[in-house]
Amino acid sequence: MSVASVTPTRVLKLTPEKCTGCLRCELACSYMQTGAFQPSKSVIRVSPFEGHTSYAPYTCTQCAEGWCMTACPVGAITINAAGAKDVIDDTCVGCKLCTIACPYGTMFYDPGTRKAFKCNLCGGAPACAEACPTAAITYEAVATTDWLGNFAAERTAHALLLETR
Amino acid sequence: MAARHLIIGGGTAGINAIRTIREEERERSDITLVSAERPYSRMVLPYYLDRSIAESHVFTATAAVLAGWGVKTHLHRRAAGLDVKRSVCALDDGTEIEYDDCVIATGSSAVRAPVPGAEGRGVHSFWTLEEARRVIGEIVAGGHVVMVGAGFISFTILNSILALGAKLTIVEIAPRILPRMIDGTGAELVENWLRKHGVAIRAGAKLTKIEDAKGRKRLRFASGGDLTCDVVIMATGIRTNLEWLKGSGVTVNRGVVVDEHLRSSVANVYAAGDVAEGPDLVSGEKAVHAIEPTAQEHGRVAGANMAGRDVRYRGSLLANIVEVCHLDVASFGAWDDPRAEAATGLRADRPAYRKLLWRGDRLTGAIILGPSSDIWTTNDVGMLKGLVQSGASLAAFKAHLGRNPFDLKPAFIASKTTERLLPETVLGRPSKAPDGTPVAV
Repeated sequence: MSVASVTPTRVLKLTPEKCTGCLRCELACSYMQTGAFQPSKSVIRVSPFEGHTSYAPYTCTQCAEGWCMTACPVGAITINAAGAKDVIDDTCVGCKLCTIACPYGTMFYDPGTRKAFKCNLCGGAPACAEACPTAAITYEAVATTDWLGNFAAERTAHALLLETR
Repeated sequence: MAARHLIIGGGTAGINAIRTIREEERERSDITLVSAERPYSRMVLPYYLDRSIAESHVFTATAAVLAGWGVKTHLHRRAAGLDVKRSVCALDDGTEIEYDDCVIATGSSAVRAPVPGAEGRGVHSFWTLEEARRVIGEIVAGGHVVMVGAGFISFTILNSILALGAKLTIVEIAPRILPRMIDGTGAELVENWLRKHGVAIRAGAKLTKIEDAKGRKRLRFASGGDLTCDVVIMATGIRTNLEWLKGSGVTVNRGVVVDEHLRSSVANVYAAGDVAEGPDLVSGEKAVHAIEPTAQEHGRVAGANMAGRDVRYRGSLLANIVEVCHLDVASFGAWDDPRAEAATGLRADRPAYRKLLWRGDRLTGAIILGPSSDIWTTNDVGMLKGLVQSGASLAAFKAHLGRNPFDLKPAFIASKTTERLLPETVLGRPSKAPDGTPVAV
């Protein structure tokens, strides 16, 4: 019954100022999740800002609502031992309802396997954090917050200004 | 005495109401479920049709699950009338059930085009499990299937029909396909894509008659040009299951009109799902959405309130996604608002299309269309939902998105939409896993 039991004890803390855009997290994530190095299947995704002079990784917040989980019509998304919302492949039929329920854009669909996929914190040992050489991604017992908002707002404002000139 | 909750309808709304009552109640209540069918998920029927899952996979709350939840059931029974003065629901076998509160979640049914032969042999709807069972036995490799109606329901089973090796023709009375899910530009892209994948489409065709033709079916049209086929699937719309409420005193418009607590005009009668006319998140007006996500949220909010919580519902967001031959199409919110300011983007080299609809600096609707191989390498499907859902002001990004509606992600992140969304929950608390407890990985 207690809320604490479903709240992740540790979360992926993102510090975009430290990201160099090396994309090791995407390689590590896709390798852990799919067994192959294919960044297109990574569930952490690095975006460039300010014309590729700075970068930020972006992934699932493991939000309190769990929009993907409550939307699933067959109960294929559950909460794993790490506190992450996790897709049970054998139960998922690939109807994509979770992809239009998640308001963060961190629920994906694989046309090859016909399954939805997302960050499951690698069950408690996230490969992205392990692979990040600059500690831009760390796995810590802190409250989830909007890690990228301020960083992106500053850098995007500059780019938008240049655009209007 | 324990509170007596009556759940009328065992679809998505009803089952979510039951689960939420059990999650929220302080004292164990009596829950009774009346359902014409064993509870199953309509969303997964297309995957049953193409045999990628067994029939057993479609059931949501099995007898064992319902027993575990301590739910009394009247299965294969329909509600026949509601006496709101006595708080009694009468079933079609004459049984009367007293309740302290109830939720009307009787859903909707398929309607067929009113033409001669529409009810004949070899003509099917695809809405309920029973209807799906009838269709599954009839579609064979090399057979010709004609789908009447080019709406969302047709498109959810299109891949399944092709996967079974059948030849497919879609006929639609409107001048174009998907008239209630995407705009004309999007529809044209989908049509061209489908033709390239061997699907025949006949839009603007008024069906006048379906006849038997030496063991096959012949469809006749006002404009001529008969079609002969083996199976006809009628996906010509749905209607809410409301007739049984006639004379009950519950206020009904297009659906059972409910307030932000999902309460009808009668204080101890709630309504949820396809049958309910509740608040729309974008417009604030009352609307019948008849989509799965709305049924789920309605069911949970109604269930929480029946269990004694005071949960106000912000409203439901219209959202649909369908994939045909690896082309994904999704729309959100007021995507067809004629008074909105629209920005569109179209790729020259492939069928990729975006439409953003604005009211002032707020994104109020969106369409996204593109090859699956493109769409899922981006975060854009969910981000569009999030931007419409959050109602964030995007003043700083609107001009940029007008020039390039594909460049969504920087705007989503830099507008701090994540910060706005993180505290949002439907029930004012973290959701529980469907099986209630954390499981091992």
